[in-house]
Amino acid sequence: MTSNLESQELKDRLSLIEQMISEGRRTTESWGWSFVLWGVAYYVAIAWATLGKGALAWPVTMAAAGILTGVLASRTAAKRPETTVGRAMMAIWLAMGVSTFALMLSLGMSGRLDEHVSVAIIGAMLGAANCTSSIILKWKMQFACALVWWGAAVAACFTSDTITSIVFLTAIFFCQIIFGIYGMIAESSKQKRREAGQGASHA
Amino acid sequence: MPELPELNPVIHGKLRLALLSLLSGVEEAEFTWLRAKTGSTDGNLGAQLLKLEEAGYVAVEKKFVQRKPQTLYRMTESGRQALTDYVQALRQLLGAAMES
Repeated sequence: MTSNLESQELKDRLSLIEQMISEGRRTTESWGWSFVLWGVAYYVAIAWATLGKGALAWPVTMAAAGILTGVLASRTAAKRPETTVGRAMMAIWLAMGVSTFALMLSLGMSGRLDEHVSVAIIGAMLGAANCTSSIILKWKMQFACALVWWGAAVAACFTSDTITSIVFLTAIFFCQIIFGIYGMIAESSKQKRREAGQGASHA
Repeated sequence: MPELPELNPVIHGKLRLALLSLLSGVEEAEFTWLRAKTGSTDGNLGAQLLKLEEAGYVAVEKKFVQRKPQTLYRMTESGRQALTDYVQALRQLLGAAMES
């Protein structure tokens, strides 16, 4: 059987294997929407807390964003296979979310939470999650987001209220909104390329 | 001159090879996901998956999720070994083809 096989066919088989393996592992990249969603949620919480002076602004908005993310993620996750990388990603972001929520809620209830502490905690947590995620996914753009968040966290410890607010709003804009949209565009163009190059439907 | 290896005919089919390769990158995958990734028809996909199952290369689990039936496929250890052997054989054959 093998004597009739041309080297081109053998190369095609190897290339098919490589393509399909990477296809199977590519299950964690279409999360751009969640970055945008959380970016918008942060803006809503900030606007509510600033304009309405509502003590419940952050816990309510974050809980709502968490529930919405869970519902939307369960819809897309049902269509995707389970991978170790996917589970690692979920673990990182879940742990970060729960830690931040518990910490912020406790500090808020004890009256020890101010703008600087909030930005420092959120920035440090998001920096850690983005960094870990970027190393696993080998995604330089996400590592840049981690650096921005860490920078915001450090800046919040030393700067005035106004500067801290500006730094936080800017970090949200670049690392949530812009990065999320970039992620969605990147996934969409990859999807189009995959669909154009697909061809394993014959036995 | 060393003898050239034979390619495993169960894996050599293009769709079966694609399926095993896809399953090697995930823990388990649903039938519909495999169909979307390979662009295959239900009938052809089912037939090729059955061949892989009969060869012991994939394991099947059927369950209900939110009252909807779901068929999950998972690569077995012998499937992983067979794919590894197949890739090694391909590389050997390619090396021989380059030399000749």
